[in-house]
Order: sequence, then structure tokens, then C-alpha cells
Amino acid sequence: MLDDQTVELNLPSKIGYERIAIGGLAAFAKSVGFSSSRIEDLKTSVAEACINAMQHGNKGKPDARVLVAISFQENTLRISVFDEGEGLKAQPKDPDIERIIENLDPPVGFGVFLMKRLMDEVEFNRTSNHRHEVRMMMKLTG
Amino acid sequence: MNQRPNEIKIESHGDIILLDIRGDVTAFSELSLNSAYNSAKESSPKKLLLKFEEAAYINSGGIAVLIQVLAQTKRNNQKIGITGLSDHFKKVFNMVGITKFATIYPTLQDALSAMSAMS
Repeated sequence: MLDDQTVELNLPSKIGYERIAIGGLAAFAKSVGFSSSRIEDLKTSVAEACINAMQHGNKGKPDARVLVAISFQENTLRISVFDEGEGLKAQPKDPDIERIIENLDPPVGFGVFLMKRLMDEVEFNRTSNHRHEVRMMMKLTG
Repeated sequence: MNQRPNEIKIESHGDIILLDIRGDVTAFSELSLNSAYNSAKESSPKKLLLKFEEAAYINSGGIAVLIQVLAQTKRNNQKIGITGLSDHFKKVFNMVGITKFATIYPTLQDALSAMSAMS
């Protein structure tokens, strides 16, 4: 049973549907008082978490889903993005643009990098019901 | 949900080639952006300016595509400018290091006048 301060969005695992999540998230964050610049940070972070869930978590399985749960309590916005995958074996290293430009590294790792830079906290968890969760948090300040 | 292909207008402004990119910038932009870059390259420009729509949605897939274009401009010894970004994506481009390889200008006019003055 969800409480009256939690919203859940259940998305097809298909690139593009992350925009539904960030549209809902932006409306939610605005309603509780986040600034437009922080809302942009949230949108980018949650879009990247959804894209990773679709591409790497659910690995393109057509019947898999991505669940986004958003809640606001104690001046803190919490977002969890769940997929049906195993999660990260290891944290990806931060992308090194100079190595990418020189074709020494593939152009990957920007999603997790941006989430960690734009949000106050990011965690990657394996849940008890065999799902992978990216949990993000942003405090309302000022 | 399908993304519409980017519409990219190519214009010459003196010795600068402007790629005016309409629409969102994601992994799906790879074909249109590479195609526009290859068309622009035919005139061997030494200066390239990418103009985005300020309301465009840009994600990590789009950033990866852009970095691949930056890699080509570096190999071809081209100067590259970027304009039309929202404040948020100026910050994001700075975070990922794009600003080490491209200069971001606040407006199209600023970009054209600064890049025209470059040797």
C-alpha cells in the first residue's frame, strides 16, 4: 500500500519512456518547492537511471518493466528506479573524455557519472524480490 | 515512444560552418549528426559551430554521439564552438569535459563574432 506522498510510475522497458518518468518527476518536484535548476538535475539523473535500467538491467527484454517510485518526506525527495536485472558487478569508472576522444576508451559511463554528480546521494542495491534498485536522494534547501 | 530524426540545417557564415540542430540529442541522433558532419566536411571547414535548441532533451547517449563528433573535429584540426544550450546543459557539458575540446558561447551572435575573429 502506497502512502499519500509516494508516486509510482510503471514504464515499458523501451528507450524514450524515461521521458514519461521525468515529466511526472518534474511536476512532483515543482509541487514540493524545488527550484527549476534542481529540477533539471533531477530530470537528467532519473532519465539516466531509467535508460540504464532499460538497456543494462532489463537488457531489452520486451516484457520487462521499469518501476520509478518518487516520494517526499522530511524535506527530502527520494527516487528509486527498479529493473529486473542483476545490477552492477562493479561501479563503472568515471569517463575520461581525453581517452575517449583519442579512441582509447569507449564513450560510456556518463549516465552513472551524471547521477552521482547531480544528486545528493546515489546507491545501487539488490532488493529482496530479485530486482535491482538505483536509489537517489535530493534535499530541498533554502 | 519514437524519437523524430533530427533536422539539421547546414549554413556557411564566412569561414564557419554552422550545424543548426533541431530536436532532442540522444543515441538516435548518431546517424543525422554524423551525416551532417560529413556533409559539412566536404567544404573542409576549419571552424564548426553546433547550435542546439535550448529546450532540447540531451541524454548520455547524445553526449556520447557529440563526443564522437568532437573526436573527428580534433583529428581534422577543426575549431569547434557550441551554442544554444540551456544553463543546465552548459553545466552538464562542463562536468563531462566537453568544454576541454569545444567552446560554449551564450548566443549565436557571440559565437559567430568570436569564431570569425579566430585565425
